[in-house]
Amino acid sequence: MSCVGVEILLIDSLLCYPIKVVIMQEEQTVLSKLGEAVKSFDEEAAVEAAKEALKIEMDPLEAIEKGLTKGMREVGDLYERGEVFIPHLVAAAEAMSSAIEVFEPEILARKAKRKVLGKVVIGTVAGDIHDIGKNLVSCLLTAAGFEVHDVGKDVSTEKFIEKAKEVEADVIGASTLMTVTAPEQKELADAIAKSGLKAKLVYIVGGAAVTPQWAEEIKAVYAPDANSAVKAIKGLLETRK
Amino acid sequence: MMVGVRKLKPMEVLDKDALTNIHLNSLELLEKMGVKVFSKEALTILDESGAKVDHKKQMAWIPPHLVEEALKKAPKTFKLCARNPKNDVELDGNHISCSTDGTGLTTIDLETGERRPSTKDDVAKSALIVDALKLADLYYPTVTPLDYPKHAHVLHEYDAALDNTQKHFVSGATYLPEEAVYLIKMAAAVAGGLKKLRERPIISAVACMMAPLILPLGETDAALEFSKQGIPVVAMTMPLTGATGPITPAGSVLIGNAQILGINTVIQMKYPGAPVIYSSYPMSMEVRTGAFAVSFPEATMVITGHIQMARHYGLPNYGGGTIGSAKIPDEQAAYEKALCGLMSMLAGGDVCGTIGLLENYTVLSYEQLLIDYEMYDMMLRLAQGIDVSEEALALDTIYKVGPEGHFLAEKHTLKHTKDVWMPMLTDPAPYGTWKDKGAKSVVDVAKEKAKEILATHKPTPLDRDVKKRLAEIIKEGEKGIPH
Repeated sequence: MSCVGVEILLIDSLLCYPIKVVIMQEEQTVLSKLGEAVKSFDEEAAVEAAKEALKIEMDPLEAIEKGLTKGMREVGDLYERGEVFIPHLVAAAEAMSSAIEVFEPEILARKAKRKVLGKVVIGTVAGDIHDIGKNLVSCLLTAAGFEVHDVGKDVSTEKFIEKAKEVEADVIGASTLMTVTAPEQKELADAIAKSGLKAKLVYIVGGAAVTPQWAEEIKAVYAPDANSAVKAIKGLLETRK
Repeated sequence: MMVGVRKLKPMEVLDKDALTNIHLNSLELLEKMGVKVFSKEALTILDESGAKVDHKKQMAWIPPHLVEEALKKAPKTFKLCARNPKNDVELDGNHISCSTDGTGLTTIDLETGERRPSTKDDVAKSALIVDALKLADLYYPTVTPLDYPKHAHVLHEYDAALDNTQKHFVSGATYLPEEAVYLIKMAAAVAGGLKKLRERPIISAVACMMAPLILPLGETDAALEFSKQGIPVVAMTMPLTGATGPITPAGSVLIGNAQILGINTVIQMKYPGAPVIYSSYPMSMEVRTGAFAVSFPEATMVITGHIQMARHYGLPNYGGGTIGSAKIPDEQAAYEKALCGLMSMLAGGDVCGTIGLLENYTVLSYEQLLIDYEMYDMMLRLAQGIDVSEEALALDTIYKVGPEGHFLAEKHTLKHTKDVWMPMLTDPAPYGTWKDKGAKSVVDVAKEKAKEILATHKPTPLDRDVKKRLAEIIKEGEKGIPH
């Protein structure tokens, strides 16, 4: 018996080994395609590579972590070293986000959970359609490893709250460029307080119409620019854990 | 984007009639009023070339045809070569280059912030900073080493520069032909002999004329010594409006122009084809106090007039730039330097950086050196003008993005990020971020940057044998230069 068993094992491994190697090689190829797509800021290639990953039944979380995130980290290093700039970070983050969208149904189906620094719901407040600053923060947060739910521009308080509840947000970010729409940030602050969302939720505000005094008045966190916003959110989530 | 290339059409400060008028009046002054020539050699050259000369009165009356012939002989384009050829500077009317300002006597100490007499170490350190700054093309001794024998200061300035930068060296004014002789010996030792120095002149030298219309003794003889070896001469005029030049900008443009035509005639008659650069550093009088300033509007107007005259003749020019009369790196320094620098560049300046000094070319500030460089860098970007090629208009990308999208992540944006001007010191951050980083003024930032460059930049050293030879020449020079 033992002899037979050994034989079977041997045959089994001899048969399987090459197949496994092929699979591993395929997976490696797709992982490097995902990473490369992010590093070359190529949204289309990232989406293609994500579809390929699903086709060979890769674990989507592994594809994100070892492919997309790895690529994003390298772009982040290049940015720190001054070799690429903000537009590159945004483009890399957009490529990554689009690929993640491809993976999302599969992640849900597997009831898996993506390991992220935190979940952020971000948008420009009702009455305001200035969204470039918000887009920038949104991309930098994605690049930093957050799961970002960008609810767009001219967003009602209800929509912010609804989305935050749906995704169990750790952070809500609200932007406004205009003084006339700044009161919307207060309305959102009040709504958050009454909403029953997580107690440790970080409410951060930004935009040209926002001053540190205003943020303090409405009990929100203030960040003067996109990089500081990411830094502030990271720091606060760390301390509120 | 090609750095250092002018694409913007130079601004016209003198129209065609004015150019002709100034030229013809310059010719008339040289012929009818005459020029005082303290140099015996220059008088002889002019005499032998057919000018009317009174050796006793040391006066020369130069006929227009000689002046115009000399203008034809002067080369219209040439290179200021550097020890490392990748730092060569093109003087061709299309390139813009940046030199340090000089030569001061005082340094604002980088550590203490106090004023003190300048030293050879300051020459070395400012040269090292220039070596590290990509767009700083020419090193002109920012200060003179007061801790070394004064009669041999030029040699020590070159010595300190050679140890710290591979860029072209523009010697400040030499007042004796012997200074030129020893400086040329040093340059030849570095270049590998006089023949190689002539092929690739790694130095040039200022010949500072005296206003109203004087070709001084030592400066003129030194200029001839340089020209003999093919070393480019920066023929400099410095009329003080209302004092050594007429109070009106046009009058000072005229008198300065006549002066430069005069020295160019002497040089070209003796050494045809010798490279000469048309240079202007006037000052204007503050009429209430009698103080003079390099960057008051009248002085800047004279500079721009001279730049345009130089371009009219096709001669390379060197003038203006980031100069000022402020005593510390403050707001006055900033606006004086920005205005004069930009005007010089817009008027068509070839060398118009002139970075590093305060109080009318007399005081070195390391912080100001970097702030001036930042301004020069910005101006250089402005001199590119607006590119309106198909690629630059970005019509396809505009269509792709549509009325509601953004351009942040577009391929077109990524492709052109490196064309965008990037600051070394200037802080665009909002108040909160700036405050969190220590609420630093640009002077604070420049101080840190200067210290960082001094601590980290490693220049390419000279060959040991050359160093030894230079030390010998300096010793000989200290004995041989009259003092």
